[in-house]
Amino acid sequence: MMTIDFSGLEPLASLCVIKEHDEISKPLSFELPITGDFDGFQREAVQMVKPAKGTTTLAFIFKEGVMVAADSRASMGGYISSQSVKKIIEINPYMLGTMAGGAADCQFWHRNLGVKCRLHELANKRRISVTGASKLLANILYSYRGMGLSVGTMIAGWDEKGPGLYYVDSEGGRLKGTRFSVGSGSPYAYGVLDSGYHYDMSVEEAAELARRAIYHATFRDGASGGVASVYHVGPNGWTKLSGDDVGELHYKYYPVETEVVEQEMAELSVA
Amino acid sequence: MVGKNCFAIASDRRLGVQLQTVATDFQKIYNIHDKLFIGLSGLATDAQTLYQRLVFRYKLYQLREERNMKPETFASLVSAILYEKRFGPYFCQPVIAGLADEDKPFICTMDSIGANARELAKDFVVAGRASESLYGACESMFKPDMDSEELFETISQALLSAVDRDC
Repeated sequence: MMTIDFSGLEPLASLCVIKEHDEISKPLSFELPITGDFDGFQREAVQMVKPAKGTTTLAFIFKEGVMVAADSRASMGGYISSQSVKKIIEINPYMLGTMAGGAADCQFWHRNLGVKCRLHELANKRRISVTGASKLLANILYSYRGMGLSVGTMIAGWDEKGPGLYYVDSEGGRLKGTRFSVGSGSPYAYGVLDSGYHYDMSVEEAAELARRAIYHATFRDGASGGVASVYHVGPNGWTKLSGDDVGELHYKYYPVETEVVEQEMAELSVA
Repeated sequence: MVGKNCFAIASDRRLGVQLQTVATDFQKIYNIHDKLFIGLSGLATDAQTLYQRLVFRYKLYQLREERNMKPETFASLVSAILYEKRFGPYFCQPVIAGLADEDKPFICTMDSIGANARELAKDFVVAGRASESLYGACESMFKPDMDSEELFETISQALLSAVDRDC
């Protein structure tokens, strides 16, 4: 009798002969919860994580490499749980990932991706390409599709082919592109980014554009705020360019004009 | 917030539609007469309409009685107007602050259908989306019988710290 051959879908590690029970070489698996109604539980889990992705992250390719920027606010419904979350994750010295969606999901799977990239480097004696790294992540996320993971990430890096930028999400999507913005503040960031973008920008101009786009998104979107971090990925790896509080950026871009506030209130009460 | 023979009332000035900020200079505290203020939080359209209705009723009262309304009376008026709409309420929560006889400060708040918490409020009242944060901030920063400058500082810091934790 023919049986369906699933061996191609199993992770690589399980095909190797495991002599001792090693933590690292055991295939990655998560225990399923013990519940009567698994479908209902899954629906609840998705609702709980709510792929609303309250954040603003952006990345774009230009002449000098890739510019990556993000805000730093974490929100739980209407409550700000933190103003200082690191949303740009350093996968390895020449690749960055951005975080949007569930913080735990993004942090865990980016770190897992870092492990896989390093293993690839050791096994093949050369760095993994951005294409390869994003494909690894996309395949993992696809296999967990429908289970309530919430990840909207961009993988940015510099490999032998030059700068690379991919968008990967928890629905299993993977897109190659030159300009992306992810999160609830992304429409506002796109507006600024698209109108100011030139391929032939210098690093300072690109950094300023990225910072401005994040600032404008944090101004309009309630779920974005905190600190606007800007990173640059060049041929020698990534460097952090700046981390400015968006409140201070507001006064830098729009200096305070003396408003006669008392006058406004008096006028309205007479009317 | 209540101080020594004075009160302070504060609000933010953001007008938003869920997460999007639409305006940053929206007025939420209105002046009824020089010793009476009302702050209206919640749905912007209901706050504006309610304010216009209250001003109308207050002006009629002023014309008939030829004097300013006492804050306690005004609070009862607001409560009655809100309860008129018991089965289709105004989605706003008022905060009323005024100086009663002999400049004794009076503050109160009520829910959107007019339930009064008058007797309990001798120190501060809060309303709005960040009301839980505001309770915490006010509770920790409030001292009884502050003079006007200290009261101003305190209420500002309480409002700012609560608003910083609200999307």
